[in-house]
Amino acid sequence: MSSDIQKIRNIGISAHIDSGKTTLTERILFYTQRIHAIHDVKGKDGVGATMDHMELERERGITITSAATHVEWSDHHINIIDTPGHVDFTIEVERSLQVLDGAVLVLCAVAGVQSQSITVDRQMKRYKVPRIAFVNKCDRSGANPQRVTRALCDKLGHNAVLLQLPIGLEANFEGVVDLVEMRAIYFRGDNGEQIEYGEIPAELQAEAEERHAELLDAASMFSDELMEAALEERATPELIREAVRAGVLSLELTPVFIGSAYKNKGVQPMMDAVTHYLPNPTDVPIEAIDLDQDGAAVELQPDPEGQTVAYAFKLDEGRYGQLTFLRVYQGTMRKGDTVIQTRTRKKIKIGRLVRMHADKMEDIEAAVAGDIVGIFGIDCHTGDTFAAAGPRINMTSMYVPDPVISLSVHPVDSKAQDNMSKALSRFTKEDPTFRVKLDAESNETIISGMGELHLDVYVERMKREYAAEVETGAPQVAYREAISRRSDFDYLHKKQTGGSGQYAKVVGYIEPSTDGEYEFVDEIRGGRIPTEYIPACDKGFRASLDKGALIGFPVVGVRAVLTDGNSHAVDSSDMAFMTASRMAFREAYKKAKPRILEPVMRVSVEGPGEFQGTIYKSLMQRRGTVLGSTEDAGFARVDADVPLAEMFGYSTDLRSGTQGKAEFTMEFSKYAPAPREVSEELLKKYRSNVSDEEDA
Amino acid sequence: MTDLMISLRRSPRTLLERDGHPGPGPGKLGLVMARAGVGKTAVLTGIGVDAMLSGQKVLHVSIERTIDKIREWYDEKLVEMLKHNKKLDHLGPLQLTMERNRHIHTFVGQSFSLERIRHTLDLLRDAMEFVPAVIILDRTEYTELNPDSIAELKAMAAEIGAEIWMACRTHRDGPPAAPGHLPPPADTFEGEVDVAFSLVPQDAKVRLHVIKDQDEMVDKDLNILLDPQTLLLVTGVAAKK
Repeated sequence: MSSDIQKIRNIGISAHIDSGKTTLTERILFYTQRIHAIHDVKGKDGVGATMDHMELERERGITITSAATHVEWSDHHINIIDTPGHVDFTIEVERSLQVLDGAVLVLCAVAGVQSQSITVDRQMKRYKVPRIAFVNKCDRSGANPQRVTRALCDKLGHNAVLLQLPIGLEANFEGVVDLVEMRAIYFRGDNGEQIEYGEIPAELQAEAEERHAELLDAASMFSDELMEAALEERATPELIREAVRAGVLSLELTPVFIGSAYKNKGVQPMMDAVTHYLPNPTDVPIEAIDLDQDGAAVELQPDPEGQTVAYAFKLDEGRYGQLTFLRVYQGTMRKGDTVIQTRTRKKIKIGRLVRMHADKMEDIEAAVAGDIVGIFGIDCHTGDTFAAAGPRINMTSMYVPDPVISLSVHPVDSKAQDNMSKALSRFTKEDPTFRVKLDAESNETIISGMGELHLDVYVERMKREYAAEVETGAPQVAYREAISRRSDFDYLHKKQTGGSGQYAKVVGYIEPSTDGEYEFVDEIRGGRIPTEYIPACDKGFRASLDKGALIGFPVVGVRAVLTDGNSHAVDSSDMAFMTASRMAFREAYKKAKPRILEPVMRVSVEGPGEFQGTIYKSLMQRRGTVLGSTEDAGFARVDADVPLAEMFGYSTDLRSGTQGKAEFTMEFSKYAPAPREVSEELLKKYRSNVSDEEDA
Repeated sequence: MTDLMISLRRSPRTLLERDGHPGPGPGKLGLVMARAGVGKTAVLTGIGVDAMLSGQKVLHVSIERTIDKIREWYDEKLVEMLKHNKKLDHLGPLQLTMERNRHIHTFVGQSFSLERIRHTLDLLRDAMEFVPAVIILDRTEYTELNPDSIAELKAMAAEIGAEIWMACRTHRDGPPAAPGHLPPPADTFEGEVDVAFSLVPQDAKVRLHVIKDQDEMVDKDLNILLDPQTLLLVTGVAAKK
């Protein structure tokens, strides 16, 4: 491994499902000699693509969990994270984006910019990930890379510019014209491994010159040197590449490459583009916090000699135990080193350090800043930071959305019970959006996640990987309760009839908080409540939030302010103040106009224009708020906010309403007050359940 | 319509309010003219927010722009108005009201046509019972609208009782306006224009000229200033008086 950090690239490959990104990754592995035969997704040869390493993924033909692999290309070290295409696994995408420096956005030359690409692109913008685009499937009927490039500008707001032109298209797709070097590239041999350069075909010469001029115009916005050179007609490929790179790094330019991974065309120039245009670890500022300095922001340097800091972004259960994927941000991690897990302050010895190639691995001695590696034998969670002795550095945590849907799971027998426990413990460590809790009243195990498919996959994994046969209940929406106005409380908890008594008085108010979080404010003056009982009051309020009085869901966004109170020299205790605070909250809550909040999803539906009306109606019928629509060459996309509770079964309804021609994606958008009739229905149902339980 | 919503209104459209109607009125065409980069789209977005604050429904049609981008502008405009009035805590409910009273429709890949606009209006009415009172047409310089098609557009709007707002880019080095006429290129369809504003950058502000009102050429400098960041009236509704 070269210690030259500038030659490391940590990239993701993101795309809409079925855009061919797994095939593309497979070809990259072949051309970089990491594999010696090419397999297809859902392979006819029964082997399946190498990056789809879980059984379930191979069966479904989709990539569910990220797999990391390391390849070498043109003297560069490239770590590739294959990212999932389904939005229910958004956390996987988010996790990848946290550790990536750049990405390749794979688009289908026929379908263009599809709904999932829009969602993934939005996430990439959030993490400021520079990207290049690869328009795949140029061999397919209807392929039109120019139209896809326009769509990148129109639908995603990119400043996209073609760096290649196709030589032929559809069945006649032969190769590409390189608009930087102004030459033709052909891919010969059984697997396209022999690159042949040639003259630009005469019939493409005029268009190539026109596109070259467009490229110079776009790139010279990022380089005065190129602008001058272009005016004097002495622009060199090096100057163009430098300018394009500057544009990509500033997120203001997206170079577009074209090819067909399936037909083994265009992959190697795209790999060259990764090394030319995507950032190396020194190009990207690394923000962390110093826990010894009260969480003050610190900027890490990708210096192999610095204090070692690494971040766990993925866990995997392998045959040798837990494999933790780490990105080393600073310093060098060596086999045998001792590092400290920042969260637990535990010392961890690095026993085995490996470089991953999908489900195969290679033992290594050390990993330098900027690299992505796997380590065995440590017990940790996703998002943990490991640092060598020194300041207590923690990488800023990734954005983790709250789960929006729950299911009860029942093991069918005691063996399944044990296996289910093991599986759930593993999954919660791997995936912060997957949560498990035991419902105290029903004694049921409840799993929660980001969507139906998300939970479905974990239930399947329980069965397949852990032999845990489970039955599931109906999916439940994760509602919340919130107050809508200020309400005062003045509560005296007093039990002084014989024996040791209880005495606590709390006075104050609750009101909606501005940021939607719980906040406790102590405004007691003059020691009316002794300081040692204040934390008990906080605990009492906090405990009240677990289960709201309306429909039993957690209460969010409360600011509890304690202004006065009273205590007794003998009978006051933590318990008495906790009880008083709980009872005070119960009283005040009723007067604070509590309401039910429901999770609302951002839904994007895309289909042929003739179904636009059907799509509108389908969303309106589900209480959707249509935000807007886009028309593009006979296709329409409709964006809407729709309550999650209304989205069950949408996939089937949409298919039947549009002859299977429309598709949709959704991701969590926000919590919003449920309308009155929905709230009343939920209240009725909750009351009836409660009275049934009381009767029983 | 709440008092809060009325108090937030700071768009130049408020200058046109008469006979209890918040804008130029059904079937009328309002034009915002300026050189590139002065803020025509910002004024149009401000007009859209103004219409919604007046309790009207808005269809915002744009060319080659993303829905997210346009929503962002509307949200920014609303935040600015609320900040100005120190009422930022009302953002959530007002955003929701705006979303329910606004539809953004974008055309990409040269798919814009009058026929598609009519189709969109029909779909919105039939599938969503959404009938706009204000139609904003942004970036019409990317279309091939001509005097005939503009007349057709006005007729289409009049049928549903909507007013139309459009922007028109003037050129710094272009020929000046002939006396009594709108500056080129708006002069080619000035017969269809009922209200016209022009925006002129001046020092740290943008000066608003009312060039045409109630079908009459006015061309008066009423000493109206817009905030260059927001393109809203500097001093709110009071400024017009």
